[in-house]
Amino acid sequence: MTISIRQIHPAFAGEVSGIDITRPLGADDVAAIEAGMDRHAVLVFHDQPLTDDQQRAFTRNFGTLEQAPGGHVTKLHERRLPIDMQDASNLDQHQRPLARDDRRRMFNLGNQLWHSDSSYRAVPAKYSLLSGRIVVDKGGHTEFADMRAAYDALDDATRAEIEDLVCEHSLMFSRGVLGFDVTDGERAMFRPVRQSLVRTHPVTGRKSLFLSAHAGSIVGWPVPEGRAFLRELVEHATQPRFVYSHKWRQYDLVIWDNRQTMHRVTRFDESLVRDMRRTTVAGDAMTVSQAA
Amino acid sequence: MSISIRRLHKHFGGEVSGLDITQPLPRDVVAAIEAGMDRYAVLAFPDQPLTDEQQCAFSRNFGELEVTLIGQLSKPEERRLGDRLELGDISNLDAQNRLRARDDQKRMYALANRLWHSDASFRAIGAGYTLLHSRIVPSKGGNTEFADMRAAYDALDDATKAEIEDLVCEHSIVFSREQIGFAVQDDGNADKLRPVRHRLVVTHPVTGRKSLYLSSHIGGIVGWPVPEGRAFIRDLTEHATQPEFVYAHKWRVNELVMWDNRTVMHRARRFDDLHEVRDLRRTSIKGTGMTAAPAALQAAE
Repeated sequence: MTISIRQIHPAFAGEVSGIDITRPLGADDVAAIEAGMDRHAVLVFHDQPLTDDQQRAFTRNFGTLEQAPGGHVTKLHERRLPIDMQDASNLDQHQRPLARDDRRRMFNLGNQLWHSDSSYRAVPAKYSLLSGRIVVDKGGHTEFADMRAAYDALDDATRAEIEDLVCEHSLMFSRGVLGFDVTDGERAMFRPVRQSLVRTHPVTGRKSLFLSAHAGSIVGWPVPEGRAFLRELVEHATQPRFVYSHKWRQYDLVIWDNRQTMHRVTRFDESLVRDMRRTTVAGDAMTVSQAA
Repeated sequence: MSISIRRLHKHFGGEVSGLDITQPLPRDVVAAIEAGMDRYAVLAFPDQPLTDEQQCAFSRNFGELEVTLIGQLSKPEERRLGDRLELGDISNLDAQNRLRARDDQKRMYALANRLWHSDASFRAIGAGYTLLHSRIVPSKGGNTEFADMRAAYDALDDATKAEIEDLVCEHSIVFSREQIGFAVQDDGNADKLRPVRHRLVVTHPVTGRKSLYLSSHIGGIVGWPVPEGRAFIRDLTEHATQPEFVYAHKWRVNELVMWDNRTVMHRARRFDDLHEVRDLRRTSIKGTGMTAAPAALQAAE
């Protein structure tokens, strides 16, 4: 089987054809996909009606499944999916759309802000894989921004200024900015971690901006100055020329590299069902050592 | 008398020439400027070496001057521009004309001016015009950017226009500061920090044009869960501040720029404020009740 990849945005993102990812893959196919990820940072696979088990199996080709606790506010008995499947739907455990003021929905609204998955963990995620089981016709797109192209487009003075900056990331920041009420227990669980603002891809050596809505301050800077500057960098990095907007078809699977992209979901009519399931490939290193 | 206005941007903004605004102006000139404001929403007057007194006098042509909130919240010895509370100090200098230190609380407070906002939208009646005059400008950066909220409204699709038509937002100075992690201290000024309500879609009293009344001071939409309201306001702000609707003003010394807070948002851009001086002075004209029935909105609490 030969896979082929067609680039679908001037800067990045590719559409893959000639492969059935519901079945076990050969080592050469996996290598071809990884090479495609290094180059395009986002890959789209159409018409892949994955079961949860098949999605897990496909995901394990690229590393270990991330299933660390601490990334959500949903209690175990309220979960719709097993702990290693991240539930990116708008449904409760009875498969009904969450009520407008449901706390889980309030928390999920943070996904409308540009972010990199698990940047609030000391070891942030490598890939995320999102499978569209039930999609909506209008809105609910996933948008991706190429953090390599955004880095490349900075002027020299800015690159020099940010080269050694370190940010603090926490779910408290991304949720706090939308006015989500964080409990004391959650605050303890969401203790900030440190991440380099500029990171280098381990394979390609390309530099990129490691931005995320979870970034709430720059170490050594007054908080308001850090946040104002991070907002400016996010604005720069999410200009239309760096953004690919993915309009979902049922049974699309999209993989993205969290080390090279940010993403967000756009608004949709949440009285409709949107069932998206995510698996995450754990990263293998911290971007900077954590504070003692 | 006619004044000459050169258009600065596809949708809005004009540069006025042939006028000396340091001198008292006849009625017809004031009327011509007001007509220009209704059309362009932002007007720049280059080469106008105004004193504080002259800036206040020129501003009074357009209505009653507003007292600045930061002036009200400051102690007399903290004010660089003395007891003239209607003159806003938009500089990075302290009362002794020294550059403010990196962690200076007033600097922290002022950093929120880098977020898109409409002046005094945290008051029950927001500002009408703001007039900003440049005394000292930095060599690089420090632009003021404006976004045309009429053009942004016009560009919305019909479904969104229908959805937002009757929405009401809550505005407070606390919200804009909170977004960048700065907690505004109450210090007995709770009444000035309490959220006020404004319609999201407003209609200009003269032109009848609709525009989006957005501002970083917005902390919620009445009747909506807070996170949903804030996420939606962010979406609308992103829409409304696309390059298509934005004019970036690069300051020259002794320039006066006036804008209509009812039809534009604005923000300041970053500059090397720890090493360079930027001294601008602001006057604002009290609004005259732009939203349909502000009194009724407040009472709806």
